[in-house]
Amino acid sequence: MIGLFQQRRQRHLREMAKYLRLVFNDFFVFALLFFLGGLGLGYSNVLKQLTTGLWWAPLVALVVLAITAQVGRFATLIEDADRVFLLPKERAMHDYFVVARRYSQWLAQATQLILLFILTPFLRVTLDWSLAQVAGLVVTQVLLKDTLLRLDLASAYQVTGQRRMNHWTVKWGVSLIILAVALWLTPYVAIGLSLVADIAVIVWFQQHWEHQQIRWREQIAIEDNRMLGIYRFFNLFTDVPMVKGTIRRRRYLDGLLRRIPVRHDKTYLYLYSRGMLRGTEFSGLVVRLTVIGMLLLAFIQGQWLPVVLTALFIYLIGFQLLPFFQQYDDIVFTHVYPLTWDQRLGSFVTLVTGILTTTAILLWLVVVAVNHNLVTAGITLVVAAVEVGYLARIYTPQRLKRAAKNKG
Amino acid sequence: MALTVSHVVGGYSQIPVLKDISFDVRDGELVGLIGLNGAGKSTTINHIIGLLTPHKGEITINGVTIAQDSQAYKQQIAYIPETPVLYQELTLREHLEMTMMAYDLDQEKAWVTAHELLKTFRLDNKLDWFPANFSKGMKQKVMIVCAFLTQAKLFIIDEPFLGLDPLAVNDLLNLIEQRKQRGASILMSTHVLDTAQRYCDRFVLLHSGQVETEGTLSELQAALPEAGESLNDIYLSMTKVDRA
Repeated sequence: MIGLFQQRRQRHLREMAKYLRLVFNDFFVFALLFFLGGLGLGYSNVLKQLTTGLWWAPLVALVVLAITAQVGRFATLIEDADRVFLLPKERAMHDYFVVARRYSQWLAQATQLILLFILTPFLRVTLDWSLAQVAGLVVTQVLLKDTLLRLDLASAYQVTGQRRMNHWTVKWGVSLIILAVALWLTPYVAIGLSLVADIAVIVWFQQHWEHQQIRWREQIAIEDNRMLGIYRFFNLFTDVPMVKGTIRRRRYLDGLLRRIPVRHDKTYLYLYSRGMLRGTEFSGLVVRLTVIGMLLLAFIQGQWLPVVLTALFIYLIGFQLLPFFQQYDDIVFTHVYPLTWDQRLGSFVTLVTGILTTTAILLWLVVVAVNHNLVTAGITLVVAAVEVGYLARIYTPQRLKRAAKNKG
Repeated sequence: MALTVSHVVGGYSQIPVLKDISFDVRDGELVGLIGLNGAGKSTTINHIIGLLTPHKGEITINGVTIAQDSQAYKQQIAYIPETPVLYQELTLREHLEMTMMAYDLDQEKAWVTAHELLKTFRLDNKLDWFPANFSKGMKQKVMIVCAFLTQAKLFIIDEPFLGLDPLAVNDLLNLIEQRKQRGASILMSTHVLDTAQRYCDRFVLLHSGQVETEGTLSELQAALPEAGESLNDIYLSMTKVDRA
């Protein structure tokens, strides 16, 4: 069982390494350095203005530390098929889970330490703490995180009835009490408290796990959720096949969707528009890029820069929409319905035109609001209109036709 | 002749799965496509619905090939896949509307048919749900409702009985019978041989990419007199040749 976990860990780490290489590309590292530098500078400026004895300082520390304590989840790396294939090995899974928890400690505790390192100057200034006191808090925090992970481990088992050991109220309650003692009383007492909590969970778990069943379905769901979160993050930077996006009903958009006539030649528009608005994958992309573009434009004034940026964002969005054309290719009815490829292309062009026009108008409104300059507003409008027309009505069909031809 | 498959050689890659297959389905006829896993049933169906192009041979539906007029060809087919295939983002109502749009059906008339079908399959209170979250059997029912909503001349049904409750199986067979009487043809692949024996007019027995035999039950019995009475026996004797 330990071997199984090690094997999975290796595969998992290899996969993560693959994606991390893609995430930390040169541009991103560059941007990140700037961002961190700016943040560091801002933090040091704030620190200079702080004095000892501010009433809200321990409160801030409490919130930050309690949130941090929840970061770093129990990574079990279990898979859906396990509940069938490993069911006969249920008792042996205990070793697996113990190793998995140990593995989860690395990232979780590293996060705690980094955050405490960042928080140290704040604590020293506002609470006038000695280094020994900070060290005490570090020990408390690490022990606390250890306890929380143990609660997660215990929850892998069917603990009496429906109660769960790692219910958020329990986790937050324990964190807040121990950290409050550390911040308002003394960290040394908090060490003792967290130690007691940790040992209590250890003893309780030792006595109970052998009489409990593993909550396979819940654990698998939790692990899937955890992995989905990771993949979603990677998906911001690169294409992750595991992220399918989710579907939301979005009833409030029905009025808009109802405006598409139920007619033979609009069949694909009917499908594409619903797919676009209810799926999170592509609509999320469009919304994210539009919002980023609007925020950026809100801070930029000048004659030409707003025009260039508007054009750039319209291009980025238009370009990213292309793969949506193939969204339904693996649904057999896309090929079985008595509809032609040209009808489908026509509908797609209509959809892209609609989306890009909306985006362009939003970006343009920001440009107008920020610049109060008729010339810039006029140029942006013309450039955006031409670009939307070209992208949607000429470039998109050309690209898709060529792609279809290459496929045969 | 509703469907004619003549001398079709084909498959997913250059290596042919189907080796010179010929059979036909006449107007108002229910033909059972019978064969083991991997015999080529689904490949045959994929060729008929136009997902695959034959290397050789020709498939016509009422005289039209897909190359001549793909829209006229596809307009005549309604297809029920073995595993339900649904649009994740569409509700049940929208699936029905999508089918009406795709087949260019008259909305009002189609909805009358739709409500009858929905009632039969006990889906009438689920119009605003996403069928993608339904159980396997209910998804299958959605597929059936969508297919029988059309006025297709040829129904292609791939293994319809698995996952359906007995009531739904019965309702489906009634629907098939009803459409047959209106002159529609049905090609149905299945493993449920006793049902096939009772309802199909003729059988096409596929084995490793070839048509082993075809005909009515009595024709099959005459061709393989030592095999036994039922379709099951005939089918088993046919496969035994290969195993021996």
